[in-house]
Amino acid sequence: MLVAVGCSYRNTPVEMRERLAFGADKLGRALDELRVRYDCEAVIISTCNRVELYLARPGATVAPDAALIAEFLAETHGLPADQVRPHLYEHRNADAVRHLLRVAASLDSLIIGEGQIAGQVRQAYEAAHAREAVVGPLLNHLFQHAARVAKRVRTETGIARGKVSVSSAAVDYVREVFSHFDDKTILVIGAGKMGGLTLKHLRRLQPKRILVTNRSPEKAEAVAHGCGGQAVPWAELDNALARADIVLSTTGAPQPIVTPERWEKVLTQRKKGSVVILDIAVPRDFDPRLHDGDRTWLFNIDDLKRIRDATLQERLRHVAPAEAIVEAETERFVKDWARRRIGPVIERLIQGCDAKRQAIVQHVHKKLNGKLTEEERKYLEKMFQRLQNQILDGPISALTEEMLQEEAHRGHTLLEALRKLFGLHE
Amino acid sequence: MMFERVTVFCFAASYAVAFVAELLQLLRPRPVLRLVSVGFGCAGLLAHTIFLAVQRPGLASRDGYLLFLSWILAVFYLYGTLHHRKIAWGLFVLPLVLGLVGLAVLFTPERPAVEDSWLPPLFWVHVLLLLLAAVGVCVAFVASVMYLVHARRLKSKTLPGQGLKFLSLERLEEMHRRAIVLAFPLLTAGVVVGMALLAQSPRPVQTWTDPRVLLAVALWLVFGVLLYLRYSLHVRGRRVAILTIVAFVLLLVTLAVPHTLGGGGAP
Repeated sequence: MLVAVGCSYRNTPVEMRERLAFGADKLGRALDELRVRYDCEAVIISTCNRVELYLARPGATVAPDAALIAEFLAETHGLPADQVRPHLYEHRNADAVRHLLRVAASLDSLIIGEGQIAGQVRQAYEAAHAREAVVGPLLNHLFQHAARVAKRVRTETGIARGKVSVSSAAVDYVREVFSHFDDKTILVIGAGKMGGLTLKHLRRLQPKRILVTNRSPEKAEAVAHGCGGQAVPWAELDNALARADIVLSTTGAPQPIVTPERWEKVLTQRKKGSVVILDIAVPRDFDPRLHDGDRTWLFNIDDLKRIRDATLQERLRHVAPAEAIVEAETERFVKDWARRRIGPVIERLIQGCDAKRQAIVQHVHKKLNGKLTEEERKYLEKMFQRLQNQILDGPISALTEEMLQEEAHRGHTLLEALRKLFGLHE
Repeated sequence: MMFERVTVFCFAASYAVAFVAELLQLLRPRPVLRLVSVGFGCAGLLAHTIFLAVQRPGLASRDGYLLFLSWILAVFYLYGTLHHRKIAWGLFVLPLVLGLVGLAVLFTPERPAVEDSWLPPLFWVHVLLLLLAAVGVCVAFVASVMYLVHARRLKSKTLPGQGLKFLSLERLEEMHRRAIVLAFPLLTAGVVVGMALLAQSPRPVQTWTDPRVLLAVALWLVFGVLLYLRYSLHVRGRRVAILTIVAFVLLLVTLAVPHTLGGGGAP
């Protein structure tokens, strides 16, 4: 029995997700508690977009449901259970497998195809695996399968292609203009949060120099210190613009700080070639007329968002093939698991029948001692084997069929019947 | 012998198929199309090489000169295609190769008035210098066209990675700079040697006013202006690219005009 209970950005506001999230301190205790309280294997995935509990009781006919898990979550996080329950969804057996595969393959993510979730699923599994007896054969097999499927989806479809963050899209535009960065100067104007992220991406290009300017010298110093740059007084902005190859602007100024007239003066000072301006401030810091397609390449937040939108649009084309992979892999996992579950039972059944058949064949041989040729003896053995196969074929097929059907997980009626009828004990 | 049956059509057709595959690749990107393009490009270069080796068109003739020039550019195409696998290299270089081959076909094979073996060694130095300078002009032309197309796409803020893929503007400028820096001394030396040859001519007045001589000097002047703009006035980008295209057109006209020296053949 496998069950996945949780909430995600789809149905739960961020305030509630924050309250239900498991930090490192709570996670270990929660996993142990789940194991002890419900006698099950457990993995908890807790990210900023989802909190999900995967619980498994191989061979059992019941497992905790959403109501029980709501009580558990409420208890763990000190919330009323009736506040938690409405946010929880529940998937069972094959649906739970499918859900995990979709989550790991980033088909259920806020940004489809994002690369973080596969790692987060793996970390959740590793955290549970590190604790004694929390993860057993079913979740071991399931989470390893999920990791393989996530990789397969990423490599076989284009779902992970392209850039989806504004800051990495900015670097794409810079790379269209420049190839070498060891002789380039980056000028950072302002100290916005988005600017920090973009600067992080730009720093990976390993520029020669980073200049930082801000109306507040302290803030300029702080940013410069953080990125290994050099603070420049705000009064020397024009001079810094003339020296820069890449400008990253992210001030909170209500009006453009660089007008065409001011830029003309800067250009007369410039001895360098092209300059790329990444204006990610809202309202914009640079007048859009500066983009001349010759020396000045100006890209603002809207241009960068267009890259992200185009990437997401492109990724949507790959959702159907990715879903097909998930569906096929879900079916494969369920069949594989069913075989694993009934494999030992069938093996014991066949072994028992083999022993009885061989005993009967021996007995017949004794009775007919010397009356049969070697060829007739072999034929007789073959016929007994065929009879055994035909008798067992029906029960084995029916059992396999039952294990593959969801209903079977609730009762395993045939499996139990088979055990009783043939005396197949664990 | 089988190699003697290799004609201009063989390699021109191969280059044309390679170009069509590049165009199709642009419309529907498929790895197989890139393979077809490279395969036919290689086949074309092989046939081109065999043709030059077996047929031995005279380097002193216009058609031979153009065929040698297009061969060097075909090598440049193949190198670029293999080196910059994701870049739309063939789309820009192959039309140039095909154009030069087409121009060579337009000129019926010329037989110089004087046999090649009778031409002075200085003449061959002149031809070789101008051939290498022409390669530089062609490479600078390709870089300029790519630069202009890429700059136009960026000006209209086409999304990176959408459609054609280019080298960065900086790389294209660098390629252009290297080409003209190499071509100018070669062109200068070629023109100087050519003038020395003209001075020895039995009819100096007529040869100095030869249209091809005047065009070669004009080409040299355009190149001079190009370098002056680039290095003294720090002019870059679009204007330099446009001037390079002018220089290339001038080169084509120069190559198309018959020459009195060497019996109408030489550059």
